[in-house]
Amino acid sequence: MRHRKYPFIFGFLVVPVVLYIALVIWPYLQTFGYSLTDWSGASPEMNFIGLDNYTKLFKDSVFLGALQHNLLLLIVLPLATILLALFFAFMLNVGGRSGTGGVQGVRGSAFYKVVFFFPQVLSVAILSVLFQGVYRTDEGGLLNGVLSKIGIVDPAHPWQWLADPDFGLWCIMGVLIWSGVGFYLVLFSAAMQSIPKDIYEAALLDGAKRGTTFFKITLPLLWETIQTAWVYLAIAAMDAFALVSTMTPGAYYGGGPDHHSEIMATLLMRNFITFGKAGYACAMGVVIFFITMVLSVVSLRVTRREKIEF
Amino acid sequence: MASVTYDKATRVYPGADKPSVDALDLEIGDGEFLVLVGPSGCGKSTSLRMLAGLEDVNQGAIRIGDRDVTHLPPKDRDIAMVFQNYALYPHMTVAENMGFALKIAGVNKADLRTKVEEAAKILDLTEFLDRKPKALSGGQRQRVAMGRAIVRQPQVFLMDEPLSNLDAKLRVSTRTQIASLQRRLGITTVYVTHDQTEAMTMGDRVAVLDKGLLQQVDAPRAMYDRPANLFVAGFIGSPAMNLVEVPLVDGGVKFGGSVINIDRADLAKAGDAKTVVVGIRPEHFQIVPAGGLEGVAVTVNVVEELGADGFVYGTTQVSGQDKDIVVRVHSREIPQRGETIHVVPVGTETHVFATTGERLSR
Repeated sequence: MRHRKYPFIFGFLVVPVVLYIALVIWPYLQTFGYSLTDWSGASPEMNFIGLDNYTKLFKDSVFLGALQHNLLLLIVLPLATILLALFFAFMLNVGGRSGTGGVQGVRGSAFYKVVFFFPQVLSVAILSVLFQGVYRTDEGGLLNGVLSKIGIVDPAHPWQWLADPDFGLWCIMGVLIWSGVGFYLVLFSAAMQSIPKDIYEAALLDGAKRGTTFFKITLPLLWETIQTAWVYLAIAAMDAFALVSTMTPGAYYGGGPDHHSEIMATLLMRNFITFGKAGYACAMGVVIFFITMVLSVVSLRVTRREKIEF
Repeated sequence: MASVTYDKATRVYPGADKPSVDALDLEIGDGEFLVLVGPSGCGKSTSLRMLAGLEDVNQGAIRIGDRDVTHLPPKDRDIAMVFQNYALYPHMTVAENMGFALKIAGVNKADLRTKVEEAAKILDLTEFLDRKPKALSGGQRQRVAMGRAIVRQPQVFLMDEPLSNLDAKLRVSTRTQIASLQRRLGITTVYVTHDQTEAMTMGDRVAVLDKGLLQQVDAPRAMYDRPANLFVAGFIGSPAMNLVEVPLVDGGVKFGGSVINIDRADLAKAGDAKTVVVGIRPEHFQIVPAGGLEGVAVTVNVVEELGADGFVYGTTQVSGQDKDIVVRVHSREIPQRGETIHVVPVGTETHVFATTGERLSR
């Protein structure tokens, strides 16, 4: 019986492990291999050129600009999304009126929970179309239309939103945050509901107001969930490909105007598909991979705290 | 220090058609230890939470001292509560847990530390001050919860079954500790429990609730000796009082071979009922030799020997029906299972209730 056990376990393990190696590990290795060549992506011919792609990459001002944009996303997106989601989750679960009647959410919290989750069920394609409508540069755009009605925007010179060099990336961030808050709201709500209610009641009796309760009780008890959310959002910030490539101006995967909303992923795609510089694009992919991995590990390590048990 | 008054306080949960606490009228004196007791769902915890401000009061009022606190938020009521599951803040040390309320109130650090240390000393927690709750045993956590309450020196202590998560032995010792601590501090205390030993031993007075209605408020001894109705009679005392429905006869009621005399005036309260309920506590039976006309024959089913004494669980025939009877017997004269013993109620220690529940005997 004992000797039979290992073939049995092996039988179950071998298929997923082989699939994982073939479909995940091998492409990673291959990408790294291609990044050391001048492969065009179209022909099977390629020459080994060592680390040339990498040295070129770190002198490429467009790539460095894109990297900067990703880093900006990396700071703003998790911070804004988590703070907003935390605030809403707190209000919906324990932030209700501070009279008698114990701990409860604001009135209608069940309704808000559903409403806030709506953006999460929209596909990125719909988001893109929707917000192109919102950000349109003529009066037909939701924002310009409203702003010109109330006289903030001059209809002859409407704001450019996505086409504005200083503003395009922030518009994209707005969409990312708008669509992400709902999910993290639900995530934090679930975590808050696992905190025993009598802890909040004890805090109420101890005289804690909403703010104190939030910072001294809720936040420390939600720490692990926030940490997880941070890692997810950091990974999302390193990506953001779909929205940038569909919404921002610029031929082939957006990123305009003049690379002002360029991110690493759009640059990678343009180099790979359009410019026929597949080896160079692979080098970018490798850089993105390492940055994402290092960020995840570092953020989990740095924010590690003692595990909380109820 | 302050008294607490429930003035026809009523709580109806949204969607419920019957109130969970129905026009509760209760006065708790300054420094008094009042125990709220009753079966699950009787409204005792709800009553406590109404006083704490964690539950709305739909009708009536609640006062602490002269202040009407009916609609005040919990933080303005000057109360401290010990929760059943302690509700300690898991991410704070014992000292931080105990000092949290004072810190919010803006007490300076030195004073806060002294107060926390004093409370820790009283509760024997000094060496645990820097630990987190998860590194404490159940009993220690319970003491931290107590400590969090006493550090604040509130006007009223509220305790919601604080001992129910402790093991039996610890419960007994903590019971006396809490009672003596309360006497020492002299702070008005409302204590909720379903355990009637706690109710009998800890409180100055006991309030029995059932189905949201206050049944009786009295000193534990008085309540035991003279329960106001059938519910209290059956609830207070362990094992419970024997309650047997018997027919009325001239001058009293017939219980087996003996007649229990009842005052004619009291009997009149029963109206034209044909039967009444006689209540006899297990310790108020006398074993008599077989063959006498008096008493009832009890067939022994189970015997519980507790060391100091024993309880006989048996059946007897009362007006043609089998009735379960519990009799306390001396530890040296414990009958065997299957044996038949003859018992007579001690005349002065019987209780008579109308079948509707009302007490008839004095």
